[in-house]
Amino acid sequence: MDGRQLRDDDLESVGFDWSKLRKASPPELLIRFVFGGGIALVAAIAASVFGPRFGGLFLAFPAVLPAALTLIEKKEGTTKAWADASGGVLGAIGLAAFAFTALQLLRANPAVALAVALLAWLLVSGGLYFLFRETGLFLWQDKRLMKSR
Amino acid sequence: MSIALIGLKALVGGCAVVGFSLIGQAGHPKRFAGLFSAAPSVALASLAMTVVAKGPRATLPYAQGMLIGSAGMVAYSLVSLLLINRLHALVGSILAWLAWFAVAGGLYLVVGG
Repeated sequence: MDGRQLRDDDLESVGFDWSKLRKASPPELLIRFVFGGGIALVAAIAASVFGPRFGGLFLAFPAVLPAALTLIEKKEGTTKAWADASGGVLGAIGLAAFAFTALQLLRANPAVALAVALLAWLLVSGGLYFLFRETGLFLWQDKRLMKSR
Repeated sequence: MSIALIGLKALVGGCAVVGFSLIGQAGHPKRFAGLFSAAPSVALASLAMTVVAKGPRATLPYAQGMLIGSAGMVAYSLVSLLLINRLHALVGSILAWLAWFAVAGGLYLVVGG
């Protein structure tokens, strides 16, 4: 893994470059669709057979990540795949915030509950991202993990 | 659950995953883009479909299961970081599924079953 590449990547401004979507390849999108649809199918079948609480487990299963990370590694290298996975840790904490918020609010108003839960995911994962970025926690984490290799 | 509803959940779930992955692809830097790889895409689609088909009360056990699964997702992400560093993306990210099964499965057996 290239520590300099990670640091350079972190120095980039945060935002969205929608022109990148022109490069999105249909086969890659199809792979994501198949894995995403596949895990939704598994969750629905598991809920039918073993009950909805068991099926709900698979709503937070990382089905698409191996394919997504492998595609990133193939196109941009292992360091970029690792950087994406390191953002994924914070996104996963946000996922727990989504589930917790949905659980609290779904009974009252489901549409509002799902919107607020999505906002909770965005705030928690985005908030953690900026905390890690601004305080140098990413750098500390990179050093620790590279040392442990 | 009807076969039509199961198929619809798969279809809408797949579309949601593609939608969030496109947002992630446009995002920069890479760590920020990575947040969207753990977006609640399948959950959002599946919970919304359950609300429409069966009403809000039916979604509660799904959300309870998902909360347990998301602990597994945090474990998965941490372990995948360690393994990608050693074994590259494909092997590392697939082996890390074991962490999800251990944590989500273990917690489910203890508190959720």
